[in-house]
Formats: sequence, structure tokens, C-alpha cells
Amino acid sequence: MDSYRQEKIQKFEEFVDRRLKPDLVRAIGERDKVFEQQKIFSDLRRNIENFEKNSVTSLRTLVNLGSEVYMQADVPDTQHIFVDVGLGFHVEFTWSEALNYISQREEKLSRQVEEYTRLIASIKAQIKMVCEGIRELLHLPAERSVHEPVF
Amino acid sequence: MEEPIKKGTVTSLSSMFPAEDAQKAAKRVQDTITEKQQELDRVNEFIADNTNLINFVQKLPEELHHDIMVPFGKAAFFPGRLIHTNEILVLLGEGYYADRTSKQTVEILKRRGKDLESQADSLKAMMKDLQAEASFFNATASEAAEGLVEIREEYLEEKSEKTSESGLPKQDSSLSEANNFKDEDEDEEYARIMSRLDELELEELAAESDNWDDDGKQSNTAENDNDSDEDKQAKADFDPFPDQSSFDHNLRHPQEFISTKPLQQTKEITTSEQFSDNHYQQNFTDQSCTGLTVQAVPKDAMSHGKALAHNANYISAEQSLVLPEGTENVGTMSSSGKEVSAQTSKAGFDSGKAFTGSIVEHTHNIHTSTEKPSGTQPSKPVSRFKMQRK
Repeated sequence: MDSYRQEKIQKFEEFVDRRLKPDLVRAIGERDKVFEQQKIFSDLRRNIENFEKNSVTSLRTLVNLGSEVYMQADVPDTQHIFVDVGLGFHVEFTWSEALNYISQREEKLSRQVEEYTRLIASIKAQIKMVCEGIRELLHLPAERSVHEPVF
Repeated sequence: MEEPIKKGTVTSLSSMFPAEDAQKAAKRVQDTITEKQQELDRVNEFIADNTNLINFVQKLPEELHHDIMVPFGKAAFFPGRLIHTNEILVLLGEGYYADRTSKQTVEILKRRGKDLESQADSLKAMMKDLQAEASFFNATASEAAEGLVEIREEYLEEKSEKTSESGLPKQDSSLSEANNFKDEDEDEEYARIMSRLDELELEELAAESDNWDDDGKQSNTAENDNDSDEDKQAKADFDPFPDQSSFDHNLRHPQEFISTKPLQQTKEITTSEQFSDNHYQQNFTDQSCTGLTVQAVPKDAMSHGKALAHNANYISAEQSLVLPEGTENVGTMSSSGKEVSAQTSKAGFDSGKAFTGSIVEHTHNIHTSTEKPSGTQPSKPVSRFKMQRK
């Protein structure tokens, strides 16, 4: 029976290491990406609000040509912004439209973040369960119900 | 392990380089190689980007303004234009920037490119070394896994095995006489050589007549003792030779040729024709080209056993060498013979002479080599026919 137990323990450990942990890592990576998007859009919104506040019409910027080589660029009219709406499309917005879109986008992003968080939590719970099972098997090789796991 | 008989050591490679360790080391080196490969790819990417940027920057000053979409953050654009197209701000590192013209920027970028390329070269050199190391480890690992052992033996002067050559490719004779040769003592071979020489003498005397076959047979009987085994097997290989005697006959003939008059030569030619027809066409010519000396080498191979067939070849080649000069039958001979004739002139064979030292020598060498499969000519006095050496 011991060898059987050993086998089971090994199987559990393998399951944790091979399936659950990589899943966890992947889920966390996806959530981080969504966080980034959130940050981008929140920055954009702040900038546009800044424009509105200071009624900035034209803009002088430095454009990165590649490998940190910059060139001056001039934006004569800042009224129209092209915002990336996904799938390779950029929609021309006025400021208020842009702000509207950005807030809707942000909502969607936060919803995504919530989903990922839930997924990550469930994976973590599964890992915990398996570890507990292994611990039980190790500590109680002969008896099962006699001892309760120590918290 | 120590070999008591032969002084030496046998070390199993696996003891010196345990197979697993060698494999682990090989794997480590492989990992390093992959890492370096990735770095090399990155550096190559940088180099490509740099070149593109150089081209781009060179084109910019052509216009006063360029209409572009100015990015605003990661997710928005503004339509705008590039102005001051000749003024470029270049990051020098550590937060330092430099305002440069387009040309100066190109120079900066070129210097950067050179730097990157030297980096790539050094990476490549390192990778090459690592790969050599990896291949060494892999080879060692596989050898150790196979149980290869390193055997060291002190060199002792011994009667070396006469088996030197692995046999001529042309010959497919299944002669196993080679073994016989190897096994024979040198003394025995020497005795055989002497007896053969005696027989040859007899044959020469008898060569005056046209009873070549008889002579051959006589020589056959005499020689059968010596290389009967070989002959028989050689004969087995040679379809055209009905019996050993004919083979021996042919063997003898070259010697006879040399020492005999042209008449005999013609006879030899006919027999040699048989030979050449049967066996050794082109091969001979190639060999006969260099004269008899070449034959000496293959003869040694023959001595190992395949020789008999070769011997026949060579003999016939010699025959053809000798014969074509003097006889019209040369034309009838196989093409090899004709080619041989060209060679024979090289050999300087004079039909008028009773002895043509070189030829004679070689034929004797053939026999001696067959008897004594040594890579070199026997040091013993070969024959009294040894008149001249080429």
C-alpha cells in the first residue's frame, strides 16, 4: 500500500507542477497585459482632459524614429485624435468622443481583469487542495480519519 | 587491465569519461550554445534595424516637412508633420542626448553598427568554440556508452604479419591462401623461392623448345607444393583456366618470356591473350603503365591471398608488356595488351635480350611476394636472374 501511496503522491505532485503551476503563470501574465492596457488608456484620458483644460490646439513633440533617434514633429490641430479600437482600426474622435470611448474601454478592461483574477484564484485554490491531499497522505499513511490536518 | 602477454594497458573510456557525465557536460554546452545563438540573433536584429534607420535618416532631409501620424501614447495618433528635418536628437546613453544633423547622425549610427558587428563576430567565435567542445563531449559520451576502450601497447619488434594490403579492389578472388602465406615461416618461403628458382632454370632450358605447356606443367608440379592452394583457388576464380597447370604455366611464362627468345614470347602472347581476355583488362593496363614496379605493390597484396588472381593478372600484364613489342599478336591481344605495349616500350624491353632485368625481377617479385607477403621486396637474394635493376 505504501508504494501505491507513493505513486499517488507522485502523481499529485506532477499534476501540480505540470498543469496547475503553468496555468497559474499564464493567467497571471494575461492579467498583467490587461493591466497595461488599462494604464495606457488611463494615461490617454488624462492627457485629453489636460488638452481640454488648457485648450491646447497645437503640439510640438519629439518622435522616436527608431533606436532612440528623435525628430521634432508638429501637430497643428489637436482636435482630432485617432484612437486604436482594436483589430487594427483607428477611429477619428473629437476630444469628448474620445473621452467617452476611453471610459467605456476602461470598463471593459476592468471586467477582464476581474475575470482573470477569478481564474487565478481558482487555480491557486486547486494547487492548495492538491498540496493538502499530499500532506494528508504523507502524515497519515495508515490512518486517515484519526488525525486532522493541523492548521 | 594489464595484458600479461603484451605489455600495455586497457582503459575503458567510460572510466576516464563516465558516459553520464560526458552527456551532462555535452548538454550544458548545448544550452550555452543556444543562449549564445539567441544573443547572436538579437544582435543581428539590432544590426538590421540600424541599417534601416541609416537609410531612413538619410532620406529625411530631402523634404522640409513630412506629413506623418504622430503617436500619442500607445493607443492614439495625431495627424501632424515632421519639421526641422535636419535636426535629430540622438540618445548617447545615460540620459545624454545630442542634437545632430542628418549626416552626423548617420555617422553615429554607422559607428554603432560597427560596434554591433564586432560584438556579433565575437559571439560567433565563441559559439564555434562551444560547438567544438560540444561535439567532443558528444563523441566521448557515445564512445563511452559503447564501451570503447583505450588500449595502449608497447611497441615490440615482431615478425610482422605479412598481411599489409587489404587486397586490390579488382580482384574478387576468394583465395584464402593469403592465410597460408601469413602462416608460413619465412624460411619455408625462402625454400620455396629457391626451389622455384630451380624450376625456372629448368624451364629456361626447356624454353628453347616449344613445349611450353610441358614446362608449365613441370613448374606447376614443382610449384604446387608451394602455392598449390593458392593456385587452385585462383584457378577456381579463373574460368578460362581449366586447370592449375595452365595457371602456373602462365605464371611461369613471364619469367620465361624474359629469359627466352622472342619466339617464346609470341607463345606467351597467346597465353597472355587468354589471360588478358579472361581477366584483367583495364586494370592491368593501368598498372602496367608504371611498369613492373607497380606490380610489385599489388603483388604484395596478392600475397595476402587475393594475389593469385592478381598474380595472374600481373603476369599476364607483364606478358603483354613483354610481348607486344616484338609480336604482331599484340594487336590480337586485348586492348589492355596494346596499352601495355606502349608501356613496354617504357620498360625498355628488348626482345633481343635474353634478360631484361626489370621484368625478370618483377616476375620473381611476384612469386616472392606471393610467397612472402611482405610489403617490400624480400631482402634475400631473389634469383640469379637478377641481372639488372631498372
